[in-house]
Amino acid sequence: MEARVKQVMSNIFNVEINLIGNDSSPDNIENWDSLKHMSLIVALEEEFDIEFSDEDIVDSMNYALIINILNSK
Amino acid sequence: MKYSEIIKLNNELEGAINSPDYKIAILSNIMVHQSKEICEYSLRIESVNAKVLLGEYDNIVQDSAKFQDANAIVIFWDTYNFIDGFQYKAESLSNLEFENIVEKVETEIDLVLNNLKDSSLVLINKFSSLIFDQFSLSNSRINKLVLRLNVYLEEKCSSNVKIIDIDKVVSRLSIKSSIDLRYYYSSKTLYSIDFYKKYFEYIKPIFLSTTGKIKKALIFDCDNTLWKGILGEDGFDNIRIYQEIQYLALHLAKKGVIIGICSKNNPNDVNEVLKSHPDMILRDENIVIKKINWNNKLLNLKSIAEDLNIGLDSLVFIDDSSFEVELIRRELPDIKVFQVPSREYEYGAMMRNISNLFYSPSKTEEDSAKTQMYKNQVKRIEGRVEAGNIEDYLASLDLSITVYVDDLSQVSRISQLTQKTNQFNLTTKRYSETEIKNFILNNDKLVLSIEVDDKYGVSGLTGLAILCKKISKIDTLLLSCRVLGRNIEYKFMEVIVNMAKKHNIKFLNSEYIKTQKNQQVEGFYNRCGFNTIIKSDNIIQYQLKTDRYKNEKINYIRVKNGS
Repeated sequence: MEARVKQVMSNIFNVEINLIGNDSSPDNIENWDSLKHMSLIVALEEEFDIEFSDEDIVDSMNYALIINILNSK
Repeated sequence: MKYSEIIKLNNELEGAINSPDYKIAILSNIMVHQSKEICEYSLRIESVNAKVLLGEYDNIVQDSAKFQDANAIVIFWDTYNFIDGFQYKAESLSNLEFENIVEKVETEIDLVLNNLKDSSLVLINKFSSLIFDQFSLSNSRINKLVLRLNVYLEEKCSSNVKIIDIDKVVSRLSIKSSIDLRYYYSSKTLYSIDFYKKYFEYIKPIFLSTTGKIKKALIFDCDNTLWKGILGEDGFDNIRIYQEIQYLALHLAKKGVIIGICSKNNPNDVNEVLKSHPDMILRDENIVIKKINWNNKLLNLKSIAEDLNIGLDSLVFIDDSSFEVELIRRELPDIKVFQVPSREYEYGAMMRNISNLFYSPSKTEEDSAKTQMYKNQVKRIEGRVEAGNIEDYLASLDLSITVYVDDLSQVSRISQLTQKTNQFNLTTKRYSETEIKNFILNNDKLVLSIEVDDKYGVSGLTGLAILCKKISKIDTLLLSCRVLGRNIEYKFMEVIVNMAKKHNIKFLNSEYIKTQKNQQVEGFYNRCGFNTIIKSDNIIQYQLKTDRYKNEKINYIRVKNGS
């Protein structure tokens, strides 16, 4: 699952996949703005065929948190 | 394909397509930023170098002035966002308040259409009430308003505007799958990723037709494709004609699509069916080209493209056999191949989808006469084989060209020629009807168009040259592939040079802009006596001293004055 999340993030933010790690967040990924965040959410939902709740959306502001949320599904 | 993959592949295709940018501005009164990559990707995979420019949120009027020069403008004008919360406020507004909103929108429609009146192509979504409509027997105010505004829009828009029925897209997907309301109230995003994928699939043929990437010929296998059964085994009386498929193909033929047959069969058997099977819908006169023999289909399809003088990527082929389908997909990937579905009742739907590949925006008289013109071309090629000596053969054709200068009645056909001609096209500049009209009305530009006749018939408008007088330059020179191989191009050059002399042009400039398809004309200007001035990778500039021009003495082509 981790690899697929990284791949999606790499695609959406147009950054190298090996630059994505636990602390990846809007602070260190330049492209990660509010519009791209929406794109990330719908892309992850499509990838894993799940739905993020409103809270999940707000909470998923870095890689480690996204993994937590996906693990809880 | 998944959205994140689309984004990735779209990034990879950026800069990888060797053709000029095709700028598409998307204007909207809701947030549609996710449309960008999906739109670009849908076109980049067809080698259209699409670049999407997104307008500002809810700024359609100002943006329509800002982006009027884009190659295409797409407008998402969402009814429920005429004012914030219109979907729940509409029923409670007073008549006056409601009418004020309507009036504001109508004024904005006028402004937008006026700003875009000279744009090449405008796609505007029909106003729709589907998304927030109640499942109720009574018609809401918004239902009625939408009908009214669509009539208004229809009346006001000119020929460069296409109205897109967005409800067709929503109904393919369901309302629920078309929208993602999570950000609607906070950020005014409305549509889902699935919606955008379907939407751009739906409108893509318009872009393909304006960029010259549309398909031109539909080639059928026979057994289990045009009819059920194997003619050679089951016999004339025991095949069952697929009438739905043939009616749909006949309709395409009438719109100017080339219909052909490529089949492993005995030619006499198939011809007998075409001629006298009582249930057949397609007849010999509808079939432009036939390759009925026992050669392999790769050879036959290649020679179909050659005989018709079109690229392999203009062909669509339908066959029932997995073997043939796979073979062609592997060896000739430029040809779009479809396999007859194993469930017979799905064949009609597939055929309707295939019809979309031949979308043509404006129907001209010539489109309907095209079948005959292509047939004449194939007949000429057959004649050529017999004639042996090419010059004698050409002389036997009674060729003539009719020249029209700045003829306003031909605007639509001229624009089509610029958009569809790929091979004999020196600069491959695509012009909209509006642009052509402006050239004709403009004193500096001379628009020369030609028709070619021979003893087999009229080829219709098949050649174009645009001359800029001030800079003494040939801006555009093209000939439809239907008239190539007859030295028409050299006679046409004679006409062009004479016209230049008439306007006191001493040095005539010209250029060749290389594309993937126009290599055959790379040396054309040199062959006509032009000197190379500047040569770079993709562009060669030439000049001709007009009083030094020696014509080719082609006596067997007569020149007539059409205007």
